[in-house]
Amino acid sequence: MTIIEPISEANVEVTVNGRPHRHRVPARLLLSDYIRDTVGLTGTHLGCEHGYCGACTVMVNGDAVRSCLMLAVQADGAEVRTVEDLAPAGSDALSPMQQAFHDNHALQCGFCTAGFLMTLESVDPAEWRDPERLVELLSGNLCRCTGYQNIVAAVTEAWNAYDGSGGSDDG
Amino acid sequence: MSLDIDSHIRHSSRYVGRSVPRREDRGPLTGRGRYVADIKLPGMLEVVFARSTEAHARITGIDTSEAEALEGVVAVFCAADLSDVNTFPDYIPYIGAVRQRPLAEDRVRYVGAPYAAVVAVDRYIAEDGASLVAAGTTYEPLPTVADLDQALASGAPKLYDHWESNCSFDVAPHKPEVDRAFEEADHVFTETYVSQRQTGLPMETRGVVADMVDGTLTVWSSTQSPHMVRTTVALMLGMPEPQVRVIHPAIGGGFGTKTHIYPEDVVVPWIARRLATPARWIEDRMENLVASVHAREQRHDVEVAYDADGTIRGVRCASMLDMGSGEIFMPGTAPVFVTNACITGGYDFPNMEARTIGAVTNKTPAGAYRGFGIPEGAFVMERIIDRVARLTGTDRADLRRRMLLRPGQTPYVMHGGGRLDSGSHTESFERALEMSAPRLEQVRKRHAGDPDVRVGVGYANYVEPTSPSYHLTTGHWGGGDAATVRVDPDGSVRVAAGLSAFGQGAETTAAQLAADALGVSPQDVTVVLGDTERTPYGLGSWGSRGAMMLTGSVLLASERLLDKARAIAAHMLEAAEADVVLEDGAFHVAGSSRPSVSWAEVGTAAWVRVVDLPDGMEAGLETSGFYHPENLQHQLDDTGKINAAASWSNGTHIGIVSVRISTGEVTIEDYIVVHDCGTVINPALVEGQVHGGVAQGIAGAMYEHFQYDPDTAYPRFASFMDYLVPTCAEVPHMEVDHFESPAPEQPLGVKGCGEGGTVGPPAVVAGAVSDALSEWGVDLTECPVTPVAVRAALRAAEANRGGGSGAPP
Repeated sequence: MTIIEPISEANVEVTVNGRPHRHRVPARLLLSDYIRDTVGLTGTHLGCEHGYCGACTVMVNGDAVRSCLMLAVQADGAEVRTVEDLAPAGSDALSPMQQAFHDNHALQCGFCTAGFLMTLESVDPAEWRDPERLVELLSGNLCRCTGYQNIVAAVTEAWNAYDGSGGSDDG
Repeated sequence: MSLDIDSHIRHSSRYVGRSVPRREDRGPLTGRGRYVADIKLPGMLEVVFARSTEAHARITGIDTSEAEALEGVVAVFCAADLSDVNTFPDYIPYIGAVRQRPLAEDRVRYVGAPYAAVVAVDRYIAEDGASLVAAGTTYEPLPTVADLDQALASGAPKLYDHWESNCSFDVAPHKPEVDRAFEEADHVFTETYVSQRQTGLPMETRGVVADMVDGTLTVWSSTQSPHMVRTTVALMLGMPEPQVRVIHPAIGGGFGTKTHIYPEDVVVPWIARRLATPARWIEDRMENLVASVHAREQRHDVEVAYDADGTIRGVRCASMLDMGSGEIFMPGTAPVFVTNACITGGYDFPNMEARTIGAVTNKTPAGAYRGFGIPEGAFVMERIIDRVARLTGTDRADLRRRMLLRPGQTPYVMHGGGRLDSGSHTESFERALEMSAPRLEQVRKRHAGDPDVRVGVGYANYVEPTSPSYHLTTGHWGGGDAATVRVDPDGSVRVAAGLSAFGQGAETTAAQLAADALGVSPQDVTVVLGDTERTPYGLGSWGSRGAMMLTGSVLLASERLLDKARAIAAHMLEAAEADVVLEDGAFHVAGSSRPSVSWAEVGTAAWVRVVDLPDGMEAGLETSGFYHPENLQHQLDDTGKINAAASWSNGTHIGIVSVRISTGEVTIEDYIVVHDCGTVINPALVEGQVHGGVAQGIAGAMYEHFQYDPDTAYPRFASFMDYLVPTCAEVPHMEVDHFESPAPEQPLGVKGCGEGGTVGPPAVVAGAVSDALSEWGVDLTECPVTPVAVRAALRAAEANRGGGSGAPP
């Protein structure tokens, strides 16, 4: 049996939105706090820090992850994507999903929005487009403003357009 | 208020009435929204509060030495350190004074009460420090009161030694006409209806950042009312108001919980001043559930006098509010008064005698939550109507038809003085019935073959007071708001308003209003909200007041600005002012082919090329307007009545549910809303408000409930695992339709729509489930309607009938 000595700090190397980062961080630092405070990307929001509300959802190696339930050191060597990476760089354009949220009034206070967008970014629409599946997918993220109706409408619209355009890349 | 601009916009609006896209979206969509927790200042320290783990106790000792010794902890402050901070004011004379200190001194009255602040170089260390303070704190427990019965029992342990009992207020009007109704009526029934403890629960918790530089204290707060925070922080810290600046950056929802001014709003600025270093506190969710206000916990003991034909002759209702510890500023007492004021909804029902009682308990202080007492009252009234219909064999919809206000019956003065200026009470109900009828058939058909399923329908007709008096709620503030409109040298328009916004789309709305008023495009209008240094005084967003306050203040200021701009343009056009018209964003001489004068030319003349101004005219092009609705009352009249709202929206909700008998599972199959908020400025935003309100109403009807241990007053919740916020899977599709009955006395006829959505669902769900289970005599008297509650109601019905035939499986 290997006995692991408790450590208080560790080195992490993480790629966030395509940029490499190297930091020495407290071992107990949450990935969410690392993204927000250490890297300085505050678009990822903390709604409960219990892993329930989904506001802090980011992508780690392509999967949707609640960044409040993961330590920064666990992301060592990983590729992380956050909401800041969704809109096409260098232009004022929004991604199709962001645009659909805007067009359908699918956000009000906007605090939960990043989590919804990252959950959606992480899935293959073909697997989730059925209305019941979509509700199941979205039920992992809490929104307190919209009553969800316009969020469902926005996703449906964006995925229909995605289909219609012959599978153009959403990201 | 009569404004020329008002009729102008009504006749030639280009933007008001249209779903102009929101300007607020881009930040949150791209991750560049700036919320309080995103603010980081050089050298900023983090604050974590140590909170009471006892429901009621004396603090006998706080040993902070271990926390202070921790590397990274900068300071630990307790009540004694804050001796230079004033007590929260007790402005309302008729309720018990709580004399609240920002940090508890020697007595704690609820789990979660803050008594020490740990300041450290980062949040993790501050949390460690708070844990050490908690470990070093000793208590002498006191007997607790966990609910209204315990609080009001004779000999109950008192929360406040200087009070006679735990009763904070008891206002009991007597109406002889109600006595007569009871003498004359065929029958009387009595019942107790209960509304459970909930909260607004914004996805963003509260937070405060403060920094004192060059004598000015800047406070970033996730508040709904920055100007009120400034006034209060200045008062409590003994600073001149101009030296306190309060900014609310983007806010992740409020729903009433952020209207209050909390201890942290005062202590964090005090720490920044004391340590001469920026300081930040961000509430975590666990503390949010005990340290931000709760709401809606009311009990209603009713007596109902009715005739055999279903006519309800009179109602006596004692409405009792569980205030929690009462340690909150503004006090959380007003909602129960609103409950009684609005309890009769859109029904022509004057014979209501409503007593209003508030008592303190050892729980989180009660306060504001979207709906602010209206849903509790609507629940009572609709349950009463359903009961009378059942007892007399009257059709539930017909009975409502008989009672609802008819076209032409407004203005109508309600039992408590509320003056329904206009509305579509009967029309909304009929429209909703039309919409629901085919759906009800479909749902019945869908479940016809399943013996385990019953289908029911529930109704709610309600009124929503908009732009209410804040004097009744705070004992201090009034009910008006200011806006400033400026045209800069390049012709750009800047609107600054005292209103705040946190998701409603107020910036978009203000731009639409100014664009129509000044004949420009919304893109030409910059809107500034939420910064006391850059906006005139306003009370913020709550009470469904944003739309009306923006309309009144922006139009008032715009009209004044237009008068001056027209004079400047007339001078430049060498024409008489009366001949100058504003068309297509420029000033023309009517009927002349002379070139026009643009807003940029007028703005440049006003600020820069003052040589172009008429002789003797003062330079500048900036005007203000303070809008206070003329018909809004702040004090009771001689008869004890008051119209405490500037206007009244109304609506009908109808819900169709299916109930699975064996499990008690309730599914909302269809949900229909017909509502009327007067003139609509932006239909998409209004619909969004309705959707969100209904979702929160359903949360209260079926899921959310703060439960406390009755023996210890200890909370039985600590996360979203115990406080069940509905997800996408629980909120049904809503079908929404509108009427527009303009507010006759308000600019553009705007009323307000923030809260109405929350009002219907508890009454609708309880009514629909009771209807579905009517064969067993189930008649629900409280929410949430959980599967457990449904099964309990069925079992109770079975027990009442002695388990005879027809008993539920």
